[in-house]
Amino acid sequence: MKKPLFGPFQASGHDHRLGANQRIKVPMRRYRNNEQVDYCIVGIGSAGGVLLQRLARAGFNVVGLEAGPFWDTERDWVSDEAGSHRLYWNELRITGGEDPLALGANNSGRGVGGGSVHWAGFTPRLHPSDFRVYTEDGVGVDWPITYEEIKPYYELLEKEIPVSGPAYFPWGDPHGYSYGPHPMGGCGDILIKGCTSLGIRVSVGGPVAILSGSHGDRPHCIYRGFCIQGCKVGAKQSTLISHVPDALANGAEIRDHCMVSRINLGKDGLVTGVTYFDANGHETEQKAKAIIVCGYAIETPRLLLNSACPGFENGLANSSGALGRYLMAQAGNVVLGRFEELVRMYKAPPAHALTEEFYETDPKRGFARGFAVQTVGPLPISFAKQMMIAKGAWGWGMRQVMMDYNHWGAIALLGEILPWEDNRVELAAEKDRNGIPVARITFNLHDNDKKMIEFGKNKVMEIMQAAGAEEVVQEARYAHLVGGARMGKDPRTSVVDRFGRTHDIPNLFICDGSVLPTQGSANPGLTIQALAARTADYLISQQSHASKRSTRSTEQEPAIRYDLSPPGTWGKGVPRLT
Amino acid sequence: MSRRKQEGLPVDTKTGKPLLPRKQPGYYPTFQTLSQKDFWDQATRNLVLARVERLPPIRFFSPEEAQLMAAVCDRILPQDDRDELHKIPVVNSIDERLYEDRIDGYRFDGMPSDQEAHRLGLQGIGQVAQHMFCKRFEDLSPLEQELVLKTLHDGQPPAGNDIWVRMPVSRYWQLLVQDVVGAYYAHPFAWDEIGFGGPAYPRGYMRLEGGDPEPWEVSERRYEWAAPCSSPSAEFTPVGGSSEHKGSSGQGGTH
Repeated sequence: MKKPLFGPFQASGHDHRLGANQRIKVPMRRYRNNEQVDYCIVGIGSAGGVLLQRLARAGFNVVGLEAGPFWDTERDWVSDEAGSHRLYWNELRITGGEDPLALGANNSGRGVGGGSVHWAGFTPRLHPSDFRVYTEDGVGVDWPITYEEIKPYYELLEKEIPVSGPAYFPWGDPHGYSYGPHPMGGCGDILIKGCTSLGIRVSVGGPVAILSGSHGDRPHCIYRGFCIQGCKVGAKQSTLISHVPDALANGAEIRDHCMVSRINLGKDGLVTGVTYFDANGHETEQKAKAIIVCGYAIETPRLLLNSACPGFENGLANSSGALGRYLMAQAGNVVLGRFEELVRMYKAPPAHALTEEFYETDPKRGFARGFAVQTVGPLPISFAKQMMIAKGAWGWGMRQVMMDYNHWGAIALLGEILPWEDNRVELAAEKDRNGIPVARITFNLHDNDKKMIEFGKNKVMEIMQAAGAEEVVQEARYAHLVGGARMGKDPRTSVVDRFGRTHDIPNLFICDGSVLPTQGSANPGLTIQALAARTADYLISQQSHASKRSTRSTEQEPAIRYDLSPPGTWGKGVPRLT
Repeated sequence: MSRRKQEGLPVDTKTGKPLLPRKQPGYYPTFQTLSQKDFWDQATRNLVLARVERLPPIRFFSPEEAQLMAAVCDRILPQDDRDELHKIPVVNSIDERLYEDRIDGYRFDGMPSDQEAHRLGLQGIGQVAQHMFCKRFEDLSPLEQELVLKTLHDGQPPAGNDIWVRMPVSRYWQLLVQDVVGAYYAHPFAWDEIGFGGPAYPRGYMRLEGGDPEPWEVSERRYEWAAPCSSPSAEFTPVGGSSEHKGSSGQGGTH
């Protein structure tokens, strides 16, 4: 067919579209600024989206403030690499240290859905060992919760997302997935071939937050490969697609283009509300009984540091001095191999196969903890930038290697970098357009990290060679961001407790990637969403305490609320294995 | 065609003759992503067509800077093998990015703003050209221009010290190359050249394995070619030269 039967494809109507089929009703409920809402959530991303939905469904008055836009996916998103620039947090940040991190497109989202809009969608769980790395290996720190405590939330979110993957996933706590695995693309075939010839097990077709079959008003994947440019199809989950519609239907409000500049503290030691710049640049305040900061690993510490006030001169809720510290990124070296035959790696989701065979500590390797190996699928601009680093390509060499784009495949390391005190977020002298000081990030690799990267990188290159690549090169890089406001039992060394309540201020919570004490070699998205659902259950169970403004945090694990899932998610799919 | 122009052309390695400029270099001669535009969603179609049909005016660079930048871009990604109608405008889209202050969300400690970095970098390139060949960069032969840029790639520019102390040369080099490839490989002509299928919503892809083409894609038809004689950019050497132990990290978004 040379032309579509009924003419060029057009966007239809004026509905607000979330994915190809889902339409949402606007306008939504509006709260007045001087109305004291129950919860004000700062940042509607992976965690903020889930919290907003849970708290609204449980009957609370909730307002979400989001610095970026409330996307209409049909109108705002494109199937285009360069045109997807607006999905990322592009405001200025200063990045330094011995091993400075690239930010923006690499790891920071902006707009409703946050980073879940542009994640590749890998959704592995953390392993049970991740929650006690200090006890087991003498490095990093133990979590204040165990795997068993978060496990029911992993299972719940895997249904709500829902995750596609194999019926049996053998690593960590073995489990299966409710939606079937995806078909393979070129890079998945490379990973399978390389691993199989080396005797390494591979998980095929997931786990990914991408629908392999249609689900309610969300269609299945069409394998167009633009996952990290935002899924116009609505097959890849973002909280924008999966949780925000239900939140709005239950009376939540999202105010987009609202940049929170500070959190205000009352005389009684409780927070009273937030000051923010609205879409027109006007400074205004929203009052709330409790505030949940969900700004992710850089903006959350930045906001709390910028909210310093008498009594909290070093940053709000920072009596420990741990705020902004223990920032982590994962090692994400991309290994590229050129094959005699064509690969065409732009087809299929970048994320579709992985191995966690090297995840756990192996004393023989000479370093603590480990790494995963995953498929990636760089599109032409990303690939050209990788060739600049990996081969030193420019000029005619760049033109020549790019003409071979379809002969290259890519797989990547995802390695656990440990939490270090000197890797941190501070405030820089520079200010953003609202006059708010921007973040300065310092990042240094330590000995264990360097050993892990060297070993992991070589292992991934070995897999690529075993897959039959005639030329193998690699690009050092990092992926994801977590830490910066870690949870812990000890208020002297951590910022929040195991439910996300700040040790210092009883009605101020943090719930996002910044609370992770360690990160494992699993992509953080699923864990962040699972922790958000757990914090929501805790807040709901504390309802009576909250109204009394209890200053004690109850240590009791809340009962999991299966009745708060978005419609048609809990209980669907294949039966649980365990 | 002038002798100098011929010297800048890539070579057919079978015959040893220069490859004359053509509409579409690359191994997918009849492939045109734009022929599929009716199958793209409206937002994507509008964006990509605007990129092809509308040349943003130069607003950030001064006329002199724009001329120098054009000469630099012509060596970072040479287009001598493309005919005039099918050259991909690179400088204009970089100028638009800088004019609109569209940054990538971070700045390396010790680097000036992207705008200032580009201005300083052009000055530095001009100074290296004067130092090496006593001419303006724009007036050098393609080979000489490449030799000038190679010193930046290697992290060893022989002139412009006052600039490189304000801005690490490897950081500038990466900014420059990233901006140029970002403009070039965003263009549908470049997609046709490398056989990239381009936008695929709402239709999607069906043939995922074995490098098979979609019904509307074409099979590869390779030809052997080489960069112009003794072109330094045809060699692959590490950014910052072999002396840089630390190596550089990637900055794009992959996972």
